[in-house]
Amino acid sequence: MSEIHGAVGSYVANALDPDERSEFQRHLEACPTCSREVQEFGETAAELSTLVQEPPPPMLRATVLTSIQRVRPLPPLSTEDPQTAPGPRSIADPTPGAEKPPARTAPQAAAPTPAEHGTATEPVDELALRRQRRTARLLALAVAATVVVALAMGGWVLNLRQQRQAQVADAAAQTQLLAAPDAKVYAKSMPDGTHVSFVVSKSLDKAMFVGANLADPGNDLVYKLWRIPSGTKPVPVPDNAFDGGGPRQVWLQGGLEDAVALAVTVEKDPNTPEPTTDPVAAVTL
Amino acid sequence: MNISAAPGPGDTPRTGHRATGRDAESDHLIDLITRASRGHEDAFAELYDLTSTRIYGLILRVLRSADHSAEVTQEVYVEIWRQSARYDSSKGSVLAWMTTMAHRRAVDRVRSVTSETARDEKYASRTVDREVDHVWDGVEQRLDVERVRKGMGSLTAIQREALTLAYFGGYTQSQVAQLLKLPLGTVKTRIRDGLIGLRDALGVEA
Repeated sequence: MSEIHGAVGSYVANALDPDERSEFQRHLEACPTCSREVQEFGETAAELSTLVQEPPPPMLRATVLTSIQRVRPLPPLSTEDPQTAPGPRSIADPTPGAEKPPARTAPQAAAPTPAEHGTATEPVDELALRRQRRTARLLALAVAATVVVALAMGGWVLNLRQQRQAQVADAAAQTQLLAAPDAKVYAKSMPDGTHVSFVVSKSLDKAMFVGANLADPGNDLVYKLWRIPSGTKPVPVPDNAFDGGGPRQVWLQGGLEDAVALAVTVEKDPNTPEPTTDPVAAVTL
Repeated sequence: MNISAAPGPGDTPRTGHRATGRDAESDHLIDLITRASRGHEDAFAELYDLTSTRIYGLILRVLRSADHSAEVTQEVYVEIWRQSARYDSSKGSVLAWMTTMAHRRAVDRVRSVTSETARDEKYASRTVDREVDHVWDGVEQRLDVERVRKGMGSLTAIQREALTLAYFGGYTQSQVAQLLKLPLGTVKTRIRDGLIGLRDALGVEA
């Protein structure tokens, strides 16, 4: 057994430093034995997590479910030859024989597909890399075609990156809000019995309205979030109109210092400058 | 587990520990991740409910900071949602896929914040013993846990120690070698032997 084979355990335990790791990954692509061990050890290591179970903070569930709303699941990985790709499509119909996967998946044990095993243990990095490479190729082609196209593609890629950054920033903002020392959670019930919450931190001057499975506000109607400053009329929160369903989250930034209340109303005109109905949920700060 | 190519339950008798309940559980997770990949948030919520104590627990065990752990757990679940269509059952169980992702992220975080925290080697060497023992303390006496505990118990002390430091401690093999005052080659072998021993004790099938 060569030296490099021996690193398979450390690879699965993520105990290699970056250089050792890339060296091992190169080896993995050409070594069916190690690929198989990586898969088996991956299952074994997963069992170790039973020893350290710990319930996450209850708020994390809402945070996670709210964050995924803004993230579109990636499409299945396209390969050069989709006919032979054992993709998630085959698990859509688990009935044996109904959709017989092509020969390549069946003798898996005898002939693993080494090049792909890396993705099983490290889907994030590997996929990100492939995407980057693909994007790079696309860009190169575009530049070769015309500068105009290249610029357009660049804009598109940049836009995707901005979206991703926005998601990350949003998740970070939520965590920051929930972790603020003065964060207060006001739980309320909507008229239909759905529970909603207002999370408020005056020190951060931020608040978030959170609701899951909100009732349909009605035909052509929307929900609107309002900030009510001391002694004046309610002020609409920017981008404050939202639909039923959910999870929904609406951010409010600024003006919380002198706010005495937050409220949600049902409105016909999503741009109405002032509420025209009684609040369906309100909280006094 | 290779669901797409696996014979039906009636075709071949299942062997080892993979009793029907565990298979059903594993198939259910596949169903949930498949539905999540089509945008079903309710399926993803159930996936979260079924796995979050393990995922969060593992991340917390490695990071030992509740704040960091909540943040990393959130990142991991968002990534699982994003990648859901790319899970491939022929390459392993959903839980292994998720755990691998979570462990990697936790370890990355540990290494990126090492300088800010007290996780230096001096601290580590003082806590090696506690490190190893702690894992065994206060664990719920459930069947699964008992099985894995027994599996760990079947390893030699040095295999267990090396594996624990690497997997739960988040140390690199070189750091483990320094902590245990053993040559790197020996540590490498112990970690791998530990996983082999555990795999065989648990009857893990790829």
